[in-house]
Amino acid sequence: MDNIAGRKSGLSWAVNLSVIFLVLLWLFPTAGLFVSSFRSSDQISANGWWQSMFPTEQNVTLRTADPDDEGAQELVDGLYTVRGNLFDGEDTADISVWGYSSRAIDDFTVGQTAEMKDGETITVEANGDYVWTSPEKLTGRGQRVFATATTPPKFTTENYGTVLSGSGTDGAMAKAFLNTLTVTIPATIIPIVIAAFAAYALAWMQFPGRAILIAIVVGLLVVPLQLALIPLLRLHLGIGIGKGYLGVWLAHTGFGLPLAIYLLRNYMAGLPKDIIENAKVDGATDFQVFTKIILPLSFPALASFAIFQFLWTWNDLLVAKVFLIDATGQTTVMTQQIVELLGTRGGNWEILSTAAFVSIAVPLLVFFAMQKYLVRGLLAGSVK
Amino acid sequence: MKTSLYMSAAAVALASAPAFAEDLTVFGPWLGPDQETVEKVLAVFAEKSGHNVSYVGSDSFEQQILIDAEAGSAANVSVFPQPGLAADMAARGFLAPLKDGTEAWINENYAAGSSWVDLGTYADKDGNDDLFGFFYKVDVKSLVWYSPENFEDAGYDIPTTMEELKALSDQIVADGGTPWCIGLGSGGATGWPATDWVEDLMLRTQSPADYDAWVSNEMKFDDPKVVAAIEEFGAFARNDAYVAGGAGAVASTDFRDSPKGLFSSPAQCYMHRQASFIPAFFPEGTSVGEDADFFYFPSYAEKELGNPVLGAGTLWAITNENDAAHDLVDFLKTPEAHETWMALGGFLTPHKGIDSSKFADEATAKMNDILLAATTFRFDASDLMPGGVGAGSFWTGMVDYAGGKDAAEVAAEIQSSWDALK
Repeated sequence: MDNIAGRKSGLSWAVNLSVIFLVLLWLFPTAGLFVSSFRSSDQISANGWWQSMFPTEQNVTLRTADPDDEGAQELVDGLYTVRGNLFDGEDTADISVWGYSSRAIDDFTVGQTAEMKDGETITVEANGDYVWTSPEKLTGRGQRVFATATTPPKFTTENYGTVLSGSGTDGAMAKAFLNTLTVTIPATIIPIVIAAFAAYALAWMQFPGRAILIAIVVGLLVVPLQLALIPLLRLHLGIGIGKGYLGVWLAHTGFGLPLAIYLLRNYMAGLPKDIIENAKVDGATDFQVFTKIILPLSFPALASFAIFQFLWTWNDLLVAKVFLIDATGQTTVMTQQIVELLGTRGGNWEILSTAAFVSIAVPLLVFFAMQKYLVRGLLAGSVK
Repeated sequence: MKTSLYMSAAAVALASAPAFAEDLTVFGPWLGPDQETVEKVLAVFAEKSGHNVSYVGSDSFEQQILIDAEAGSAANVSVFPQPGLAADMAARGFLAPLKDGTEAWINENYAAGSSWVDLGTYADKDGNDDLFGFFYKVDVKSLVWYSPENFEDAGYDIPTTMEELKALSDQIVADGGTPWCIGLGSGGATGWPATDWVEDLMLRTQSPADYDAWVSNEMKFDDPKVVAAIEEFGAFARNDAYVAGGAGAVASTDFRDSPKGLFSSPAQCYMHRQASFIPAFFPEGTSVGEDADFFYFPSYAEKELGNPVLGAGTLWAITNENDAAHDLVDFLKTPEAHETWMALGGFLTPHKGIDSSKFADEATAKMNDILLAATTFRFDASDLMPGGVGAGSFWTGMVDYAGGKDAAEVAAEIQSSWDALK
């Protein structure tokens, strides 16, 4: 007994460890993305998100006040003097070493006075206070100071402001959000309704060619939707649907149907035969069997497919671009809006990470609301 | 009006109706801040003409325009960043020719007018040449960016010849610095910054006629002249001492991040060769003209090829004809259209009739001077080559080359991919 118990506990340790490992593997990048979404683009390119949570030592380029500004310099003991704080009093960074030339950035320690050309001197304190003096009147731009400073962690919610309010027209994101819902909800419901009927017919009704039909549906699963984009769009334009919501609903329905029918048919075929036969003996029609018995019993499968289809249509950009977004730009969806925020040449990583968290919010809600069906539905059709 | 199969019935009805105010859709590659700018320019047009103008941008313009044109749902006017793509679409009958007289107007009013006409003239479905594209908004690529204060700290002067530039690079290395920041990374388009380098060096080592022959593939890609230009690029990019992070970092550094090395402390590099758009990727608060400046990527004094300038531009073409589309092209001819965008920044133009005091800043005005002072202007070769080469094997070949592959071998591979397209 000891042996068995010991082996069991060893195995469950292994299971637990690998589960923890997998969870960390998934959570780690998500956490990084989350932290990055609160950082500015300069911070992101300067160092990694894991360094952002602790005070870090960085080389920074700072600049004194512009001596040409009114009142910036005063005459003290025959020297023109500019005083101030290199951080403008905003940051609470701690300078360790500094320099005034880009070629020697750590020549001086804090409190030391550097002699520059033309008799100018500059003194920098640890908190960024500086005194810059010159026998002649100072002109030109402020003196550059290169400092090695320990800066506290700094985060910003500016990215969220940018994503939510949009950079251009006000409320663009809110409109895109509504447009996305307008696309997603019908594009989830229509295929489920059609697929449920079809799945019942393919699972429980006897008619010639049924096996062939099922085979065709399974075959359609492997056809990439990209193949159908242009022919379908031509068809839509030819029959007068054009680009618009109806077109994108139809397209999503078509692209979602093979998986929906396959998933639901397998689930329905696994329901106990006795119940259906009993109902038939009692005089129920196929329609009654479907609505009164099959539909309630298939709820887990329906719900899990609804989650799949919802997530897929929510995150979709390709189908929306082809069938929905026309040249007037009135029907932008969220994914397109996010791409637009990235700018002409892309590379705004801070917007990308923030947008990921904004657009993930609704799918997360849907997922948590329906997740208990997801696992049940995932097994749909796999167990007879 | 040329009858076009791809036009939807609605568009045909619209085009033939003698309405004054029409809906006009414009499709282009600009997003984000650029999109706001182009919308402001189009708003000026909308106000003057009374048409209803809307603009949509796409980051995958090249693919989207093909889908829309194939399906017949293209916007009225499309803005092509690559003339090669426009030529291809014209040959398939997707573009409507511009009105007569546009050619004469460009010849008269644009600096180096005939070369702009040539770049916008393509064969149509039946093989007849016609003017399809109007250039509006130009980029200069032959620029070297630097930090004036870093140059001042080190006591370096702006080089005016390629010999001086190379001597300066050696000088920086001798002083313990790194002269160049080069980054080729750009997602799916990784490698394109290197094609600009090679094109610039091609213009500086060979005659413009050779450059044109190269673009049209009359001169093979593996010609010794081209291989020499690639190796010239290698002299910069494959020299560990010359490049920040070493030659190995060239292909993996993102082009958007690479200029940031100019402003880091200590400076990772002193110079960065990139087109006029790059200030968008400088760190926040960098002011062009003070913190950052640029000089013309110089030519060899000994070669006597003049001062060639490499550039690119966006080409406005009519993809779904209506009267408003022609009105828009007419509007783009007015100095006002150019000056509106000039005032908003980031806009260069070969238009000779504009008031150059209207540039948003001195830096842009200086760039425009480089453009107007060019003895030779040549369009970005990779944008003119067939897509499979100019936006394919040329890019990947340059990544291979930066990674250590032999130049002749890379050139031969690019040529064979070109042959395969014919």
